[in-house]
Amino acid sequence: MTDSQVLNLKVEFGGGLELLFDKKRSHRVALPSPPSSPPDAAKKTPADINFLIHWLKDNLLRERAELFIENGTVRPGILVLVNDTDWELEGEGEYVLQEGDEIVFISTLHGG
Amino acid sequence: MSESCGNPNVESEAVMPRKAKFDKGKTCVKCKENPGNLVIRHAVYCKDCFGPLISSRFRHALEPHINATPSGPRRVALKPTGDLLVGFSGGLGSTVLLDLVHHSYLLKVVANVSKGGKAHPRNNERVWKNVRACYVEIADAFPGMKDRIEDVRAAVGRYDGVEFVPVRIQDAFDPTWWEKVSGKPAPPLGLDIDLSDEDVRISSSNSDSTPISALHSYLRKLPTPTAVHSTISTLIRILLLYTAHATTSSHLVQGTSLTSLSINLISSISQGGGFVVPQVTQEEWFPRTSPAPTESATARRSVRVIRPLRDIGMKECAAWAWWNQLPIAGKQKVPVSRQTIDDLTKDFIVGLEKDFPSTVSTIAKTVAKLAPKGDAGDRCVMCELPTQRSAQEWKARIAIRSFTAPDPSTTLSPATSLSPLLCYSCHTTLTSRSSRGAIPAQTGMPVAGPPSPLVPLPAWTVAHLAAPADTLEPHGCSPSDSTREGEQHGEVWEAKKLSVDDLRTLVGDFMLDDDS
Repeated sequence: MTDSQVLNLKVEFGGGLELLFDKKRSHRVALPSPPSSPPDAAKKTPADINFLIHWLKDNLLRERAELFIENGTVRPGILVLVNDTDWELEGEGEYVLQEGDEIVFISTLHGG
Repeated sequence: MSESCGNPNVESEAVMPRKAKFDKGKTCVKCKENPGNLVIRHAVYCKDCFGPLISSRFRHALEPHINATPSGPRRVALKPTGDLLVGFSGGLGSTVLLDLVHHSYLLKVVANVSKGGKAHPRNNERVWKNVRACYVEIADAFPGMKDRIEDVRAAVGRYDGVEFVPVRIQDAFDPTWWEKVSGKPAPPLGLDIDLSDEDVRISSSNSDSTPISALHSYLRKLPTPTAVHSTISTLIRILLLYTAHATTSSHLVQGTSLTSLSINLISSISQGGGFVVPQVTQEEWFPRTSPAPTESATARRSVRVIRPLRDIGMKECAAWAWWNQLPIAGKQKVPVSRQTIDDLTKDFIVGLEKDFPSTVSTIAKTVAKLAPKGDAGDRCVMCELPTQRSAQEWKARIAIRSFTAPDPSTTLSPATSLSPLLCYSCHTTLTSRSSRGAIPAQTGMPVAGPPSPLVPLPAWTVAHLAAPADTLEPHGCSPSDSTREGEQHGEVWEAKKLSVDDLRTLVGDFMLDDDS
């Protein structure tokens, strides 16, 4: 795989989620391109946050996947920021990632 | 099938378009200039406007309740009658709360001391002379939990001017702790209760168990994981209240966010706490041994429990903590089954908030309008919340609690039974068994000695039971009021199971003849 097919991202975890990811808050991630879908194999599928979530689960998550992912997306109670902006303003999981993006996952489930 | 109903087999693509998570554009609704950074219940805010918004909501929820007499919308000088105690769990809400308290009432005073006019030191005296953060460590209740007092001490230590007050959960069973916070000698003998029957019979305790073993014994005998969860919350609440009283605090603030408040309300109601719904949001607590409320306000020394984050959701708390780089020490979970009412309610409300954020706010705002029906009797000797009169009678009336008829000759007096002195919720917590059997052994609490149905009572309950009647009642009710549940208008009512023959005699006039 060439470098042009890889997206370099900064991924951070907060609110206790870092405990699931090797107890490291900040990660530099080289995200590969997602596999193309069969009907149109020549057309490249852009990497979006949904793909990143699954990639993180398969490659960085160390324990208890159910605390991070649920029904194909992040578990309710996890706030996602894309370049310091709520992902709800950016199309949530369908936001197409860009080179150098900073994605933050913060758990809000650590009680009062 | 008609067109109006639609045919899912044919119209598989005709799905309803997803509603946007924000109402208008992506520009901040406040400054109307900057691009938005956060969506809060369909409204978009930029990072610059978010900070003042949260500070303003925090102060708006807290400041009208600082003075002894609520000040209403008009701004007056803030003069609390005592100090401030922050209930600090290390979780997200209490971390944000402590940061807001420090930012609003400690930091600003230091920043303004060299200025004049409105910023003159005379006009910027500290609202609270002393601010303390109390942390209740529950690690000793369950084997394998990490003691985090030092971690939390470090988290509180980030804030100048905040004193750290650690308390341990087993203090609830420690007569020495009770003497320290109440200023009165603890009763010489402890009391045990029997959780094997619904009367919760009281007996003198002959054991000289340590506070930790008493705590383990108490938790081990609780009938369900929900009861363990609920009991830990009650013990923490009472420990915080008496610590607030002992530190001359007039206010106890807790980091219950809007989301947590909605969870607490639904969970409390589903566990039989409907009568104390107002107290889940805000509470004016008097120690049971203090002077009556007819005396002066200073002599009364009540503790006002406020939740200043009640208009701020978990999402906003997370954003505040992230953008202000607040380290979250983390709140330890009670290691019991995930199937407790609290956990199931939390999963439901957090899931609801993801797709319908305004609905969670609606829960809290709707419940805030509810008022309990009926008079409050005495306060519960366990949780110290108001009890509903005749709660036990009502409970006996609506459900079959036993297959055997009660023996009238063994009518229990409050001296031998705890049931009449408990609120409906605490009685249910102590006695309502799961249909699936006893509590699973996963809590892993050590078992010492042969099994016994007797469990020790918390220190305050022992003291209340041993105290003379005139000091039991700050509300002016006789302590025996709640025990005379069946007595109304001079009549004494008694629940009694009838034999089949007695029943036949009673309804005989209405029965059809066998040969008809």
